[in-house]
Amino acid sequence: MNLFDQIEPLLLKVQKPARYIGGEPGSIMKDKADIRARFAFCFPDRYDVGMSHLGMKVLYSCINKRPEYWCERVFAPDTDFEALMREHHLPLYALESLEPVRDFDFIGFTLQYELCYTNILNMLDLAGVPIYQRDRGEAIAPIVCAGGSCACNPEPIADFCDMFFLGEGEELDLEVMDLYVKMRDAGATRSEFLKAASQIQGVYVPSLYDVTYNEDGTVNAVTPKDGAPATVRKRIIENFDACPSPEEFVVPFSEIVHDRAVTEVLRGCLRGCRFCQAGFLYRPFREKTPETICEQSRKLINNTGYEELSLCSLSTSDHSRIEEMMDGLLTFTENEHINLSLPSLRVDNFSTGLMNRLRRVRSSGLTFAPEAGTQRMRDVINKNVSEEELMRTCKIAFDAGQTSVKFYFMMGLPTETDDDIRGIIELAQRVVDMFYEGERRPKGKPVQISCSIATFVPKPFTPFEFHPQDTREMIAHKQKVLEEALAGHKRIRASTHFPETSILEAVLAKGDRRLCDVIYGAWKRGCIFDAWSEHFRYDLWLEAFAEAGLNVEFYANRPRPYDEVFPWDHLDYYVDKAFLIRENEKAKQAKSTKHCRLSCAGCGVTKVTGHPCFDYHQNSKA
Amino acid sequence: MIPVRATFEKRRRAKYISHLDLMRCMQRAFRRAGVPIWFTEGFNPHAYLMFPLALSLGYESGCECMDFRIDGDMSMQEAMERLNRVLPPDLQIKAVAEPVRKHTDIAFADYAIALDCADASVSAESLRNAWDAFIVQPEILVEKKTKRGTAEIDVKAQSQILDTQTTGNGLLLKLRTPAGTSVNVNPGLLIDAFLAWLPEHMPDVRTGMMHAERLAILCEDGTDFA
Repeated sequence: MNLFDQIEPLLLKVQKPARYIGGEPGSIMKDKADIRARFAFCFPDRYDVGMSHLGMKVLYSCINKRPEYWCERVFAPDTDFEALMREHHLPLYALESLEPVRDFDFIGFTLQYELCYTNILNMLDLAGVPIYQRDRGEAIAPIVCAGGSCACNPEPIADFCDMFFLGEGEELDLEVMDLYVKMRDAGATRSEFLKAASQIQGVYVPSLYDVTYNEDGTVNAVTPKDGAPATVRKRIIENFDACPSPEEFVVPFSEIVHDRAVTEVLRGCLRGCRFCQAGFLYRPFREKTPETICEQSRKLINNTGYEELSLCSLSTSDHSRIEEMMDGLLTFTENEHINLSLPSLRVDNFSTGLMNRLRRVRSSGLTFAPEAGTQRMRDVINKNVSEEELMRTCKIAFDAGQTSVKFYFMMGLPTETDDDIRGIIELAQRVVDMFYEGERRPKGKPVQISCSIATFVPKPFTPFEFHPQDTREMIAHKQKVLEEALAGHKRIRASTHFPETSILEAVLAKGDRRLCDVIYGAWKRGCIFDAWSEHFRYDLWLEAFAEAGLNVEFYANRPRPYDEVFPWDHLDYYVDKAFLIRENEKAKQAKSTKHCRLSCAGCGVTKVTGHPCFDYHQNSKA
Repeated sequence: MIPVRATFEKRRRAKYISHLDLMRCMQRAFRRAGVPIWFTEGFNPHAYLMFPLALSLGYESGCECMDFRIDGDMSMQEAMERLNRVLPPDLQIKAVAEPVRKHTDIAFADYAIALDCADASVSAESLRNAWDAFIVQPEILVEKKTKRGTAEIDVKAQSQILDTQTTGNGLLLKLRTPAGTSVNVNPGLLIDAFLAWLPEHMPDVRTGMMHAERLAILCEDGTDFA
């Protein structure tokens, strides 16, 4: 059922209608007669955000490479279009076929941010699919699934999803679809399929696990049933260099947040910054060779027609052959008027050689993330960046003509004092002073240091998962300390965030299954697009907590002992809890841990992969 | 260097590409197609592409124009074929030729506007009668947004009604309005004025979807621009 004729009369009544009609270059059209399973890839945020996401492009391309499967895109409609959809009974549809999502075999959500959860409920509702999994009956389709970084603790949305995909989806999604087609054709029911799927490594079927609670509200036990595994281990791609990467993107008509070709250069991170969830979730560290990166980038530019290429990773400058890679990329980008941009550079290995290559790239300013203002604090969080390195890097940048630098910091880190907060401004001021001492600085231009200071959110699978988040009052106090420290520093700008957003993020990140009803209650009260400050209604969230008899402080502000059963303990992301405890203890003593290329910290990854992540023998020779 | 004027159509899903987005879409299409388009010189070179007349969002057209230059060894026919292979099916080039007329020669554009009745309770005849009563007014004043704010114009004096017909489910108008760099009148202004006039004068005549299509871009002497 193609909905074009029902969609069209609404389009000129809404902002940016091109978001709702598909037809972009690179979008994959197939003949339904050839298709055995359809996958609606849903991004629970607006088109301009979702279309910027590389993971969606990767899986879209993986599924569509199989001629018998068809993956389509679905985004959350903005509020103006949603109102019209509801008024005209237009169900949520996918952008390629313009057919209702409820008729698909899989409705898959990507979980990039906890504050998107209410959008998932809203999209299921717009699709006409029962929101709670238990209400979906025994018909096998549609299977509601979800994956992505927040799937490492999916308990707060466990009641809404048939299954979760843990880890990397390139192979896993297809294995599940293959099993689905086989079982559906044999007449299997939803629960029969879920039971069978739970045997695939990386598939977590929450309805096959009973959760019991202690009197104090903590989890007592998570018990599998019907043969489901006691722990579910994530999936990774062993040979990352050979892993197929998308050679085409859907190129949007309207402007999106990141409107450019993107090549993934490495996966995982070797740094082990203790606050950083991605740094632990995506282990082990794997990189693509410069040859692969250049070939994939060139194909992508040719197939998309993009005028800009960006490299994607958690830490691009940790690539062991970055200068070679840059030289390879620059040879074709310069000839063909392609802008090359490199986010995620570190200050401690930012060489003059790299800077010289970067100077050949049109740059809009440099961004670094020291994360904390004092050396003690940086040692606690294991951000192994010294002030000397930071200064050296800024000096290279200033000497090269830059006059503005952006820094990312956090407040609310474990063991943090007011001095650490003041240290942020003091550090920024020393960078300002260094600029004016520089002899090669651009004359007549003032320097501008922008500091963005986020509120720290403790996350599962990090050494800080045991830590309470600062309370709202503590954050308010620290923001005041920061403001006072900032007085009189004309060349420094500092911005902070709504603490309530970070508090809700902490609750949802570390929450248990009882939060499903809170999320449902918040959505029922009208909460959607919680990540957007103009829509965020903390008061409605608090009402929903009260209705469910739960409170924010239990989840966000409670220190969690090492022997507590965490809601995500039955999920295995290769990293041992014992390692996280060791790292947390070192954090308390402000002791740093060397990065993985220097020495193995024994995080647990090698026990699964069966081999060291790096060739330490070769390192020592070099 | 070959200067080219391409005539392209914009239909169905492509109707909702805004003018600004169309520019970006075409620039990327040239790169995908491997057509050696001429780049502007200077500090920030960019692919030179010129659209002489913008089309309103939601309008179909079979006569849109785009000028560019081929900077290399490729015929304009091959450029068209290559571009069509990488452009969406609803956005296709129909013809290429050396530009003859200057952009400033554009004087008028013709449009077909189909206005549906809201539902079966409204007859095409009643809609036609309403239109006749509306258009017979000596002047029809509307607010027009300009660069300097808003101005009041007599949209009737600015529009030539070329044809009026009833169809199975509504009204089909053909009209000609001034177009180009000096005066540009969107035919939507006249239709919007009609839709605003209806509830007050003929409340029973309710309308549904409007389909608009640009039929031609014309010079002062009435010949096609492209």
